[in-house]
Amino acid sequence: MRQLLRSGARLFWRRSVDDEVDDELTEHIEMLVRRLELEGLSPEAAREAAARRFGDLTMVRNECRTLAHDVEEQMIRQDFWQQLRQDVAYGTRTLRRAPLYTIIAVLTLAIGIGASASIFSVVHAVLLRALPYRDADRVVAVWNAYRQGGTVSHTAIAPAEFADVMDQNRSFDAVAAISRGAANLTGSCGGSASCEPERANGYTVSPSLFTVLGTAPALGRAFTESDGAAGAEPVALLSHSVWRRRFGGDSAVIGRGITVNGRLRTIVGVMPAEVRFPDAPIGFLRDRGDIWMPNAWQNNRGEERGNQYLGFLARMRPGTSMTEVRTDLETISTRFRAAFPDRYDPSTVSWALDAIPLREQMVGDVRRPLLIVMGAVVLLMLIACANVAHLSLARGAARRQEFAVRTALGAGRMRLVRQLLTESLMLGAMSGVLGIAIAVGSTRVLVRLDPGMIPQLDATRVNGIVLVFALLATLFCALLVGVVPALRQSMVSVHDAIRAGRGAAAQPRRRVRSVLVVAEVAMALVILVGAGLLTRSFLALQKVDQGFSTGPALTFAVTLPRARYDSAARMIAFHDRLQSELASIPGVEAVSAIDPLPLGGTSWSGTFHVEGQPTARGAEAPHGEYNVALPGFIDALQLRLVTGRDFEVTDGPGAPAVAIVDESLAAQYWPGEDPLGKRISSNGDSGPWVTVIGVVRHVHRSGPKNAGEPQIYFAYRQRVQTPLSYVLRTTVDPLSIVGAVRSQVASLDRDLPVARVASMATLESAALARDRFNALIFLVFAGTALLLAAIGLYGVMAYLVAQRQAELGLRLALGGGPGDVARLVIGDGMRMALLGIVLGTVASLALGRALDQLLYGTKPTDPVTYAVIAATLALVALLASAIPALRAMKADPVDALRA
Amino acid sequence: MPDSNRSILQGTLDLLILKTLSWGPRHGYAIARWIEETTDDVMRIEEGSLYPALYRMQKRGWIKSGWGESDIGKRIRIYSLTPAGRAELRAQSAQWDVMVKAMARVLRPA
Repeated sequence: MRQLLRSGARLFWRRSVDDEVDDELTEHIEMLVRRLELEGLSPEAAREAAARRFGDLTMVRNECRTLAHDVEEQMIRQDFWQQLRQDVAYGTRTLRRAPLYTIIAVLTLAIGIGASASIFSVVHAVLLRALPYRDADRVVAVWNAYRQGGTVSHTAIAPAEFADVMDQNRSFDAVAAISRGAANLTGSCGGSASCEPERANGYTVSPSLFTVLGTAPALGRAFTESDGAAGAEPVALLSHSVWRRRFGGDSAVIGRGITVNGRLRTIVGVMPAEVRFPDAPIGFLRDRGDIWMPNAWQNNRGEERGNQYLGFLARMRPGTSMTEVRTDLETISTRFRAAFPDRYDPSTVSWALDAIPLREQMVGDVRRPLLIVMGAVVLLMLIACANVAHLSLARGAARRQEFAVRTALGAGRMRLVRQLLTESLMLGAMSGVLGIAIAVGSTRVLVRLDPGMIPQLDATRVNGIVLVFALLATLFCALLVGVVPALRQSMVSVHDAIRAGRGAAAQPRRRVRSVLVVAEVAMALVILVGAGLLTRSFLALQKVDQGFSTGPALTFAVTLPRARYDSAARMIAFHDRLQSELASIPGVEAVSAIDPLPLGGTSWSGTFHVEGQPTARGAEAPHGEYNVALPGFIDALQLRLVTGRDFEVTDGPGAPAVAIVDESLAAQYWPGEDPLGKRISSNGDSGPWVTVIGVVRHVHRSGPKNAGEPQIYFAYRQRVQTPLSYVLRTTVDPLSIVGAVRSQVASLDRDLPVARVASMATLESAALARDRFNALIFLVFAGTALLLAAIGLYGVMAYLVAQRQAELGLRLALGGGPGDVARLVIGDGMRMALLGIVLGTVASLALGRALDQLLYGTKPTDPVTYAVIAATLALVALLASAIPALRAMKADPVDALRA
Repeated sequence: MPDSNRSILQGTLDLLILKTLSWGPRHGYAIARWIEETTDDVMRIEEGSLYPALYRMQKRGWIKSGWGESDIGKRIRIYSLTPAGRAELRAQSAQWDVMVKAMARVLRPA
């Protein structure tokens, strides 16, 4: 634009600059000639002498012209900066003269910019930033996909399935299988580094895993194929964090030993800090890795195919598409179905191998919530802009006379537009600075609120890209609120404006403002409804009866290393002693242990069989959640015993096998019968059978959201395993006895790590963290949106009242009561608000389905939420119009008429 | 005119113009005449180099131009000194003094 102006100016000015130079030189020669004539020379001689003194006139003239143009351009540039300085100085004065306008505009924009920049930071970190793997787009996860009705569930892979896909596929460069397991790290630390026994997240992986991921160790070497072979020297790769924690970051760690689950392994490498695969949950592989151990999983192909416990990653060949991969897997699936019809061709569900891109796998869970939040941010930003647009319009109306006068005094239209733009950009700059500060602050808060389930969120920072985003957002806002009013102002006719003063030409603008208010109320309602629904859903979750007590209790986990606890008797003996030692700690009411721990984040489930109810061929066997527990677990967890009894010490290896089931299992398989004495089996229709000795209430094992499946509890003594989680019900603050617990464990086994120490309350809170996070973000937005909408509504009503002062005064003078005037003003405001509420409700109903996935026990069309939100907005609208209405009532008719 | 001569003149010409304008705003012709009269025609201004010098000095910000009337009432460009020009005048005069003293010492050894 400025370029265009300047080149236009150059065309226009070049002529006159050249002319001026010529005139000046000609004039000089004329004067010189006149003097020479006065000195007595003839006119011809004088002219000749003058020309001689000038030398080559053409050359001089050209030199002067060139220089004159330079000078001219310099002046234009100086003028520009000078005018800008003037504009800025003038703008500063105007903004300072209207501090309320300035503060509200800046705050409004800053909140809009800050909120959007900080949410954009999160979206960028989670959805847009590259995964820390080379060509991450070529990495896929392979699952057993079971389709039933409209739902697909992706489950783990059996070693035999992995081996077959490894042999038969045509689309992968490399494949890797992963299984997870706890890793007790003991002994052999470097120097001063911490040497406590520690339970870490260990993964037993194909040696090719890091080839598939395309990441190399930061130190040492990756696994080689031979590392995975049976009988190879046991080795391990460490995560950066374990390396720092246990070895103090000593680079001489390569080749040293580390004891994992009682077995000494040689450290061959350390992974880079950003790679702790899995870096985000991949199906059931949820915890970030601390240590990796190699195993050639394809050699376990002899295991039963139903034993599916592996994660499966593959790197696609370059240039292979997802469609080709799926086709390839379908071919293999067809072969599986033909070879094992019992296993892969049940009538009730359809099975196939399926591949999902790793990125989708990692961010899939959070994409939708993030996009919804992003949508809320855009709405908030629009509300903020609408507000400032109101303000600018109102200010513009107030300044019509000022601009008219300035036009009359010779200010050009462009000059006025530039003045207004300068003011907008100044507002924008101030809001931008404040907005970035808000963004930095709120991003920090967001990261701290992280429930730990959002991939890469901990790496969120307000970075360069985000600042550019904020800058663009600022410019967008500034221009939006600046340009439109500026163009309007510049069309003011001097004559009309000065004569009419105020009032005239307000009509079309009033319509613009009404549209803005209606839109603002509607957008605020959409955000508020979202927040309301999520809050209600959160409250509903908190009210869920989880079937066990979340009162004061301490939980921790131990995993007995097989190397030292190599018999069931040894394990039972250890737990017997630990249980009685822990019970003697003052403040402990009850002690028992269970696995998996409710809310502990791990799950264990499988098929079972009910005596007398054989599974039909091709049908699915009953499926349920398994647990093992020590005697006393019902008391320690405060489960409610419906009938029968808890496990006893006598329910040991030699005694008859017993189990406790939950109400739902009993009701489903023995309706109307006494479940005690009935028998079930975890092996097959022919037993061995386990007798039910008790029935308890159903437990929400993985949090209130998930009701889960029927549950079976086995007696630990009859079914030993290495991991077990203790639960200590206390009368004192659970965390106050942690020291005593640790020393009791250490007194029994110095090398046994005490893992996952947490109070039950912490576990419960963690189970709801994601929902709390969602509700909280939306509540913050909703509060802001409500505030901004209220400011906007109030601003417009106050302005409209000021505009109609004369009319209202007249009404009062003609005998209208103050009540009529108030009704008129409030009626105006409420009409706009109600229209906004109606439109917002329609929009929310349309958009509400997007929230469905995030809601628990709350429909996206929940009438209570809608009613409460609509009423709240209406109330706010009433207040926002009541204040100007009160002012209108107090208007003095005489004043109004005189004005 | 030989080039060597001209370059010497160039430096001095700027100084002369600055000095002239320090007495008040003048148009180009008046500047030339004033210099001639003050130096008793010793310093004859080469009119052909006067104007390029004036424009160059404008560009440097030493002088600025406005509009005025000539003796016979014609619109004519009037030059005046800027604060920067005044500073330049002081600096160049001081330099000139140093040089004159140095030259004097060389040419008339005591």
